[in-house]
Amino acid sequence: MVNGLSYGGSLNIVLAGVGGQGLLTFASILASAVLKRNFKVLVAETHGLSQRGGSIRVHVRIGDVDAPLVPVRLADAIVALELIEAVRSIDYANRNTVILANKQILKPPLPGVKTPSIDEVLNMFKEFNMKTYIIDAEEKALKAGSNLSANIVMLGALLKTGMLSRFLDLQDVEEVIKDMGGALLEVNLKALRNGYEAININ
Amino acid sequence: MAKITGPAGSCVLLLGNEAIARGALEGGVGVASAYPGTPSTEVVEALFNASGEVELYVEWSVNEKVAFEVAYAAAICGVRSITAMKHVGLNVASDPLMTSAYTGVEDGFLIVSADDPSMWSSQNEQDNRYYGQHAFIPVFEPASPMEAKNMAKAGLEFSSKWKHPVMLRTTTRVSHTRGPVILGELPKPKLKGVFRRNVERWNVIYARKLREEMLKRWSIIAEDVNNVEFNFFEDVDSEDLIIASGLAYSYVKDALKILNRSGEISILKIATTVPVPRKLIVKALSKSSRVLVVEELEPIVEVEVKRIAFEEGFNIEVQGKSLIPQIGELTLENVVNAIARFNGYSYRLPEPLPKPTVNIPLRPPTLCPGCPHRAAFFALKKAVAMSKINPVYCGDIGCYGLGTSPPFETQDTLVEMGGSIGLANGFAHVEDEKTPIAIIGDSTFFHAGIPALINAVYNKAAILVIVLDNKTVAMTGGQPTPETGSYATGGEAPVVMIENIARASGVEYVETVDPYKIQESVEVLSNALKYVKNMGKVALIVMRRKCALNISSIANRRGIKKPIYKVFEDKCKACKVCYNLFSCPAIVEQQNGKALINMLCTGCGVCASICPHNAIVKVGEEDGEWLKLWW
Repeated sequence: MVNGLSYGGSLNIVLAGVGGQGLLTFASILASAVLKRNFKVLVAETHGLSQRGGSIRVHVRIGDVDAPLVPVRLADAIVALELIEAVRSIDYANRNTVILANKQILKPPLPGVKTPSIDEVLNMFKEFNMKTYIIDAEEKALKAGSNLSANIVMLGALLKTGMLSRFLDLQDVEEVIKDMGGALLEVNLKALRNGYEAININ
Repeated sequence: MAKITGPAGSCVLLLGNEAIARGALEGGVGVASAYPGTPSTEVVEALFNASGEVELYVEWSVNEKVAFEVAYAAAICGVRSITAMKHVGLNVASDPLMTSAYTGVEDGFLIVSADDPSMWSSQNEQDNRYYGQHAFIPVFEPASPMEAKNMAKAGLEFSSKWKHPVMLRTTTRVSHTRGPVILGELPKPKLKGVFRRNVERWNVIYARKLREEMLKRWSIIAEDVNNVEFNFFEDVDSEDLIIASGLAYSYVKDALKILNRSGEISILKIATTVPVPRKLIVKALSKSSRVLVVEELEPIVEVEVKRIAFEEGFNIEVQGKSLIPQIGELTLENVVNAIARFNGYSYRLPEPLPKPTVNIPLRPPTLCPGCPHRAAFFALKKAVAMSKINPVYCGDIGCYGLGTSPPFETQDTLVEMGGSIGLANGFAHVEDEKTPIAIIGDSTFFHAGIPALINAVYNKAAILVIVLDNKTVAMTGGQPTPETGSYATGGEAPVVMIENIARASGVEYVETVDPYKIQESVEVLSNALKYVKNMGKVALIVMRRKCALNISSIANRRGIKKPIYKVFEDKCKACKVCYNLFSCPAIVEQQNGKALINMLCTGCGVCASICPHNAIVKVGEEDGEWLKLWW
């Protein structure tokens, strides 16, 4: 599935979220799996101060790529761990871009700050008339055993869309998660499955 | 196994900075030294992580100048070395840098300068290729993590060949991009060297002679860069030519793919931007009538190309910053647009989406939950209000820079490392209505604060210096400082106490307080402000408490239970003090205005002490180990 690309052979994904949500882990797992299948991949983090709760955007480019940043309007997918951050990255989308977003709003910790409601953001996406998948990643992660794995839920959902199928499949990602190991290994594997099963492709 | 120590021939995913570290090992470095700074930190951090498996000496130095000198001295003794710093770090190291080309070195000396276009985490976007021109240091610029690894090795070899320092200049998008890197062989490095006494070479009393020799060497180097394999000409016999330096080459390649014009236009890739490979440029220009120079930030290659075209008598059109922005990092869309305009190519991007109909708030980075700086700022604002003084909050580089945002707004000035105490010195002598309060972190104090403190004592500047001491370089990921008592690789280290330095510098009023103890902190700060005002002298207060981010991660790793705090809703009067004035990210406002503590809470308990209604209460006890972690 190639969306809105003026040249073939590459896939452009923008990951958006808040520092601490595990976007870099998401990108590293995905990139390692892609590399194992001998495709080229570049991951670029654009943020100021990653661990301090600010906005984060990670660019993942797969295939015949040299430059690290996804061009505006040419993202094949925007994967957002938070809805405000999904809106902040909307410049990277066009009508054919697939949006996968975690159904969550995190209020910036500034005095008197106003945030939109979940429904306001979802209605806006509806009006954009794009392919949009809204996932309660926290809930799916908790079902897997820990809300820390919400990022892995989103990765599972992204795999289900099929846009990565030219490069890898679910098993490749599972292998990387197993290689990573760690205390959350079983939880992460479940979270990946839960994410994979969270959306229906039509 | 550390990521960068994999076997030769394997292809691994490395951050650009990790790739440089691997390249340095492949180039046989025996010494590595740095002061951390984004986007350079991971170079030497990766070498620390590898140091259990490969032999080399690695240190976090107290500042970039010392880091430079440590690596420089190693290379003078014939031990290959690397030092890495962010672009503005090279300003601090610029004093030895400017003379290092005069003396040269005995074996490879690689200076990594990580520049930060777009100023993602920096105070300016200076282009350090100018330092190469200024100091007669060859500059290598990689286009990707893979090339960064190869260039680190090649740079060391080039330096070794000409006994002359070499700079490897990256920008954020090389340093902080992960990409596939094929690993090479790891030689056994030389760890110990010999200082061969030669006063006419290592002593700048003989600088006139050294400069003459250096300029001779420079002309040979200028010739030899034409042979550097990373400079190449992709000649397709087109009239038009694109010259791209470093990372810009990667953007040009992909821009041509988007424009569907790959292979239709000749590209001269320049890796050695100082000095430029003149012969290659002449060859490429002689076949062209129009040139577009694509480079990030300043028109350094562009000016060189124009100079060469003039000197060679080429009547050609040279475009560069006329089409490529001088501000900010390159983007693919900028390069696509520039090439399309230059060549008259037409292209269509997909239609943009309509403007978002919901307003979204900014999300700047903030102090972490439990951050001792938050408590310190809360106490400081209270002390300043009670003392009825008009402050100038002289800020500095570090996490406390985040105190710029509301509600604290305690960084009226913020310029450079150590600038807090330095500027406070000047304000004290001209601004009679206000009291300068310098706010500086522990590592920044060691780095550049001490001379300014001594100056304040000697020249009688009436200022309050607050050292926010969290015993780590927090902003760059928690590297140790001279006060931490340990090294990055573990092991006990001598402890240099800030209070001792202050007293030895002649500060008569030195006190220490725990910022978590808000009331006590307010009293200590108020008394110090009174002293500064009445005595007209400098006072220094150390506010000491370890970094909450570090402690939380240790506690989580070791499974040490934190205390649990809860807001009792019947007592909460929705006064907003905890979430608006204290502004902890772990405390959120509910629909009814009452506070709620969420899962981000680190259990610091400061909110319980500042709640005017005693509505925040400890409901779960911590492990005994918990408190010990903090000191």
